[in-house]
Amino acid sequence: MNRLILKYGYPITFVILAILAWVVYRIFSAGGSGVIGFVVLAAVVWGVGTVVFLYLWPTFAYSAYKRAILQHGPGGPIPVNTLYATPNRVSAGASNASLLATGVDDLLYVGGWLDLANGPLVLHVPEMAGRYYSVQFTDPSDGTDFAYVGTRTTGTAAGEYLISGPSWKGTVPQGMAQITSPNKSVLVIGRVFVESDSDLPTAYGLAKQIRLTPLSH
Amino acid sequence: MSNFFTLLSASHVAQGIIVGAVLAFLTAQVIMNAVVKAMTTTVNGWSTTVKAGQPGNGILVRAACARILPAVNVVQEAAYWTATEDSAGRALSGRHEYVLHFPAGQLPPNEAFWSLTMTDVVGYMTPNPIARYSVGSRSGLAPNADGSIDIYIQRTPPAGHESNWLPAPSGNFKLMLRAYLPGRAVLDGAYHVPPVKRVR
Repeated sequence: MNRLILKYGYPITFVILAILAWVVYRIFSAGGSGVIGFVVLAAVVWGVGTVVFLYLWPTFAYSAYKRAILQHGPGGPIPVNTLYATPNRVSAGASNASLLATGVDDLLYVGGWLDLANGPLVLHVPEMAGRYYSVQFTDPSDGTDFAYVGTRTTGTAAGEYLISGPSWKGTVPQGMAQITSPNKSVLVIGRVFVESDSDLPTAYGLAKQIRLTPLSH
Repeated sequence: MSNFFTLLSASHVAQGIIVGAVLAFLTAQVIMNAVVKAMTTTVNGWSTTVKAGQPGNGILVRAACARILPAVNVVQEAAYWTATEDSAGRALSGRHEYVLHFPAGQLPPNEAFWSLTMTDVVGYMTPNPIARYSVGSRSGLAPNADGSIDIYIQRTPPAGHESNWLPAPSGNFKLMLRAYLPGRAVLDGAYHVPPVKRVR
């Protein structure tokens, strides 16, 4: 779909504008009192609509991720509040099916969509022994990467992190760092470095251990 | 349904809303493209931005980022550069041969790894005879005698330099360079990726 839009974006735009021009021409040639109303209404919708489209654009873009994760997924739908690890690196053969990224062949991806409305989740990460990895938390309403767990921010030791929604008020279990999400929906993307084909089983084993559980009481 | 179309053709109100909405959609696209251009810096043919995913982005920047770089890392985690043109501004194409020359000590500064990936102009990897889609810190690049590194970007294997070969497709292509946990020089904007020079 993206490919088609990129390829035919200009012709499609031209056709749309031509149809609009024809509609406007029909209205003006018909004349009458409706013309002014039409022009005013179109201008107002144009101005307000432009701001609305810009404001909501991140939500549109990330809802495509939500659909892709929850309904299709790389290996079948990924249930909400769970993470899926891709078993293989991206290659040319897999290009059209790849969900999360293209042009990256030194990482395994972990992905999932969170809904924190029913309470916080615990992110478990295994001992990575110095291996580069990251788990990125993105607010789908504005695209902000509001938190990271990983080599850069928390190191490569095993750990547990509490991910809570904006309105949750509870006690954070001992030994867990809290990550507060500004939104009850969260896009999670994990990345685990793969050194080589022979390193792939180890990297995949670690990527699978990056997982979520509900906070048990 | 037929009522709906009757209403559309008869009602200036419905037509005004549709015309306004379509113009609004197209205007938003034009604005986002302009913001993308404004937030992108291009040096030596390599384009990059430091805005993706950052907290505090305004409405325009976050819309532009969601359009071209959704779900992308913040620059502190990973820096990305793309090139679709050579050092002289000509489109990169498999019909030609290129060298990317990193002077000694000028590889992309990072604390994790770096990699240079070949894709088609949209961003998908392209098949090649040796199934190599990237070269970088984990691919065993052979340095020159002076410590510099040449990467040979072309369709056919460069004789004697196979380890430094990044296979190109037959048509136009895009290069993506990535540095994970980029060094201070990248975050400061002091580091510049060298130009891709056409040699044949």
